[in-house]
Amino acid sequence: MSKQNGSGDDLRIERTFDAPVTLVWQLWTDPEHFKAWYGPEGASIPTATMDVRVGGPRRVCMEVHTPNGPMQMWFTGEYREVVEHRRLVYTESMSDEHGSVQAADADAHGATEVRVDFEDLGRRTRMTLIHAGIPQDSPGAAGWEMALDQLTTQLARASRG
Amino acid sequence: MVAVIDDERLSETFAALASTTRRAILGRLADGAATVNDLAAPFELTLPAVSKHIKVLERAGLVVRGQQAQYRPCALDAAPLEAVSTWAEQYRPVWEARFDRMDEYLRQLQTPTKGRSA
Repeated sequence: MSKQNGSGDDLRIERTFDAPVTLVWQLWTDPEHFKAWYGPEGASIPTATMDVRVGGPRRVCMEVHTPNGPMQMWFTGEYREVVEHRRLVYTESMSDEHGSVQAADADAHGATEVRVDFEDLGRRTRMTLIHAGIPQDSPGAAGWEMALDQLTTQLARASRG
Repeated sequence: MVAVIDDERLSETFAALASTTRRAILGRLADGAATVNDLAAPFELTLPAVSKHIKVLERAGLVVRGQQAQYRPCALDAAPLEAVSTWAEQYRPVWEARFDRMDEYLRQLQTPTKGRSA
């Protein structure tokens, strides 16, 4: 793996799009554009608010259709880095519709961080996404992460013999 | 390449690991298979208490037990831990599909005749 931070389990995807960087940037930062592609399949985005500046809040509602009718999921977070046409970093946690983070989600996975790097290739744009889990602030959670890291390292070593 | 990770299974693995005793048991099993008696020795726990922990680990697929009726040795199966350590991978198919749609949407936006038809 070329890039790792935190617990080293980051998801990294690189893609090149046939569009100028200004337009690809808009797809991430303009809610109307964002709603058109974010999905996921079978889901829609009825609400997206984005205050695209460092510390600015970000809130997205995803609506999934289930046999019991529509189900809404809310995600909240804030922008950590905003460098126009270059880099966008934001945090994301599952929340209720008022933006308070659900305890269950905080326990299981914690917040995640989405980082998108944009590279201007003229009429094309190379985009690199890094989606990472970020450790919780509480010392308990940090200790837990550390314990898990140590354990997985130890076990991986053992299973290699 | 990691397959799409079953969320329920992942939660089970996390739950099984959320105990110092169970992590210590796994640590001991990393050195080799052991019986319940062996595993109980370093802890101030009764055999039934240790058995209970082992059952949780078994359900999470982290421990497999031999079939010998007498002492059924426990062995480590580290496979579910790989899923835990790469849980971000579960988002890969979601993002890939998003970028496919992004690609398609960019094409639409840049087609002068159609423009934004949606």
